[in-house]
Amino acid sequence: MIRVRNLKKEFRVHRKEPGLIASIRSLFVREHIVKHALKGVSFEVGEGEILGLVGANGAGKTTLVKILSGIIHPSGGEVSVLDHDPWKREDDFRSRIALIMGQKAQLWWDLPAADCFLLLKEIYRIPDGQYRDTLANLCDMLKVSGEINFQIRRLSLGERMKMELIAALLHRPRVVFLDEPTIGLDLSAQRAIRDFLLQYREEHKPAMILTSHYMEDIERLCERILIIRDGEFVYDGALDRVVRHYANHKILTAHLKRWPEEERAAAVARLQGEVLEAGRDQVRVKVDREDVTRCAQQLLSEWPVVDLNIEEVDIGTVIERIFNEKGKVPA
Amino acid sequence: MNARLFALVFSLEARKLMSYRVDFWLNSVIGFAAHFSIVYFLWQAIFSESGSELIRGWSFEMMLLYYVLVILAGKLVRGAEHLGDIATDIYEGGLTRYIIYPTSYLAFKYAQHLGNVVPALVQLVLFATLYVLLLPMPEEAAITPASIAMAAVSIGLGNLLFYSFMAPLQSVAYWADNVWSLNVMFRFSSNLLGGAMLPLTLFPEWGQRVLDFLPFKHLYYVPVSVLIGTMGPAEWLRSLGVGLVWLLVIHLVFRAVWNRGKFVYTGVGI
Repeated sequence: MIRVRNLKKEFRVHRKEPGLIASIRSLFVREHIVKHALKGVSFEVGEGEILGLVGANGAGKTTLVKILSGIIHPSGGEVSVLDHDPWKREDDFRSRIALIMGQKAQLWWDLPAADCFLLLKEIYRIPDGQYRDTLANLCDMLKVSGEINFQIRRLSLGERMKMELIAALLHRPRVVFLDEPTIGLDLSAQRAIRDFLLQYREEHKPAMILTSHYMEDIERLCERILIIRDGEFVYDGALDRVVRHYANHKILTAHLKRWPEEERAAAVARLQGEVLEAGRDQVRVKVDREDVTRCAQQLLSEWPVVDLNIEEVDIGTVIERIFNEKGKVPA
Repeated sequence: MNARLFALVFSLEARKLMSYRVDFWLNSVIGFAAHFSIVYFLWQAIFSESGSELIRGWSFEMMLLYYVLVILAGKLVRGAEHLGDIATDIYEGGLTRYIIYPTSYLAFKYAQHLGNVVPALVQLVLFATLYVLLLPMPEEAAITPASIAMAAVSIGLGNLLFYSFMAPLQSVAYWADNVWSLNVMFRFSSNLLGGAMLPLTLFPEWGQRVLDFLPFKHLYYVPVSVLIGTMGPAEWLRSLGVGLVWLLVIHLVFRAVWNRGKFVYTGVGI
């Protein structure tokens, strides 16, 4: 549904030094620099797939989404979304995509949500029956039937985001771009939106591209991620694969009954793995994945364990490490 | 853009504007009263200083009628004076949603622009009625059904011309961060050269001949002159032709500017 080959985007931006003198000088002479936001990226997304686009601020995620949705013109390469060139902005293409921007309201601020939806019904030429069914279904799924008659500006951030989702999905798009859809929302609203997106994917099988700085969004929604760094992809594959590559270990945390100091010291010396902490009440060990069972058995048999917890390494930490590294992540 | 969508945008805009009741009445009463008072006292002073009953063929009453109609018809022509929305949409990235929607942004904005005509129409009826009831109608004014029909056509053309002028000016926001000064310049020159500040027959002969070939007079002077009967059907038809040619020219310039601008749009804000 989405095919991208060697896509490039360059921006020419005005650079201005701080201060009054520089401001006066910029009235006559301006210095421009060329920023390479995308340096020849290629990938594909299929039907029903949710692709997570992960990268630090300024890495090129949003630029990519803007090109795919036809907002900006690429500097080079090929893009095909639903067999259309997005830049041509043909109505058939625009009728089958949606863009949800967590940081920018798309609905009309002064209108009640119901009026906004009616406007979108006409914009997308949605038949009456389909409009009624879809709206009822989406309101039901997001539990906002009671709020649609209030002006958008009077709604809470979470309610507004739900209205944005409804507005974006009323016409049942085949490709959905989600740019930080849960930003600024409380935990329960974030969860509701994730559940909703999964349910929508189940029912309609659209291709989705999600950008988010919330790792929980990525973990819950995306089987595949693209990691972008300085306009280049450094990883394209399954999320768990990159986690395994960068964090080939788990953390075992055992809560303990109190026991004599000298016994504990001897047990620590025998323990497999790297001991991160060995206190009176708790011991934490970093263990290679293949040794997790053995280490857990050892803890349970030799230590006075009350409770045992086996943790994956925090995905955010892994991703952050990739952002700061050089070179590509091995496939 | 299909007709149903156009009608819905038009209606939503009109309803939205009239839902702000305080703003509607402040804009109607205070705006009109201030404008009318300036005109009344200024021309009263000019007439009394000159000691003449007529200035270039205009009586005091006829002059007042001209200005009242310029104030009221001008609102119909200007519609959404805040066409600065287009520049703001470009500058702040609000244009993005219209790029995503399968509809024409410019048609959408024109429907909103027209939606602003509805409150202006209410004001026109209200103040025109008050004028007829409270002030004497000048004898030389010849308002007939035919002149009203011609004026309506001219107001329609003026409205389209105003939008076509403003839209390319606003599109400069693709390249410049602030187009406010352009708006002010246009507002001043269109008021002066379009007959909102004073009837164009008060200009020197050579100036009037130049203004005949410019588009500005179609904004205020032509609609009002044809309504009060100081412009005959033959002259009106000729000027309508000039106005339509200008409309086409400005539209072509605008398309070119807009199409160039699309390439530099960066969709800021997301």
